[in-house]
Amino acid sequence: MQSGDANFDVPHHGKFLVTVNPTSMSAAEQGPATSPLASPSVPRRPSSAATSNAEPNAKVVVRFRATGNAPILKQNFYKITASQKFQTVISFLKKELHYKQQQSLFLYVNAAFAPAPDEIVGNLHKCFATDGNLIINYSTTAAWG
Amino acid sequence: MQGAIDETVAERLWDGQVPLRISVHPADAAALGVHSKSLSLYLSVHRFSYLTLIATDVRRFFADADGGNARLGEVDDADIWFECKGEPLKWHYPVGLLADMTTAANAAIPIAPLPWHVTVRFLNFPADKLLRGHSESMLSMTSDAFMSMIKEADFMRNGNIKKVMGLSKQDQTQLWESFAAHRFRDFWNVNAQLVAGGSEGVNGGGSYPRFVPMRVYVAGCAVVQEPVSPVDGESDHEYTLGEILSNILPRYYSSIPGGQVSRRSPNGTGEVTTFPAAVPILHGIEVPPDTPLVWLSRNCSYPDNFLHVVLRF
Repeated sequence: MQSGDANFDVPHHGKFLVTVNPTSMSAAEQGPATSPLASPSVPRRPSSAATSNAEPNAKVVVRFRATGNAPILKQNFYKITASQKFQTVISFLKKELHYKQQQSLFLYVNAAFAPAPDEIVGNLHKCFATDGNLIINYSTTAAWG
Repeated sequence: MQGAIDETVAERLWDGQVPLRISVHPADAAALGVHSKSLSLYLSVHRFSYLTLIATDVRRFFADADGGNARLGEVDDADIWFECKGEPLKWHYPVGLLADMTTAANAAIPIAPLPWHVTVRFLNFPADKLLRGHSESMLSMTSDAFMSMIKEADFMRNGNIKKVMGLSKQDQTQLWESFAAHRFRDFWNVNAQLVAGGSEGVNGGGSYPRFVPMRVYVAGCAVVQEPVSPVDGESDHEYTLGEILSNILPRYYSSIPGGQVSRRSPNGTGEVTTFPAAVPILHGIEVPPDTPLVWLSRNCSYPDNFLHVVLRF
């Protein structure tokens, strides 16, 4: 069941990612975006910018898209704590798909690049989200990159 | 000024090295029956290189130096890791970044003591802290991680990866191979196509990247990566590194010379204390805060196309 693009609501009854109390987000704390970040010269600034990690427990929306013959999810978007590492997303997706953790699954942001497992989800969301969603494509074989 | 690469700067950074003193961890030496426990390997490593590119040679050196220690000789490359002061070193970070991060953590020593002392480990790979490779795949994993970073950088600059994907298959291969073989000219022949200029139709004329691929490292904190525009679209003012840092990390950095910053003290009391502003370090060098970010990005990025800036206190 794919959710339409117009639907930005995150189901409250869905399975959300495990929230682990983040411990080290203080460096990412910041006030409201000011001049260098809010440059009007940037035509399509990700709307996610509003979700800066002022709150250590801030969550961001991740939207999964299957590629090729990868199995699809019953629910394709989830909220995740911004301070989590990308590894959490990988492990979560494997669990949802009933994959073993050792089985290979390839995850990409925006069908473009594979983030390192230690990258911070909040950073990826801030830099690469579209309409507030971090798009993650997944595939059973190396698809991009 | 736009688009041009200052090759003098790029080539000097390319040739930058950090002297390493590598010794075997005492616990691993004991477990593997290494006799020459006090032996160290002194090695000058390019700052842009990766630890995985020296791991095999380091293992061979210690195996040979220990009279052909067969157990050391049989250690799988994927089991080799490095640490400094008890902290595992990430093999997918450039060596120069690791050195800057380690030395920045020590406020008492303004200049890094050289050689940089790291310990090589052959046992108990910390899979919770380092990315675990598969047997004999460490080189391809390193090149994959490198290419992923280049694509991520391309996406930050242009909002897509058309520039990387537009490279011929041969040019894409050449990026990694010339990097690994340390061939400056061959690398830059391809890399200039990615780094020079900006994206079309953005910022009136396409001179500026949309966002600058940059990460900032603060000891004890999560890595900071923000969508930072290098130019004020209205005044055409090119933001300096200092302006950007004081904007994204006001608790750690102030662009006022000798400035101070306020934040809660780390002892958990919630008390707000003032600290001297941090100093930005790149390639072991204190970067003048008035350096325009766009110039820094074009000329001083690591080969993975990112600026990796460490804040030193």
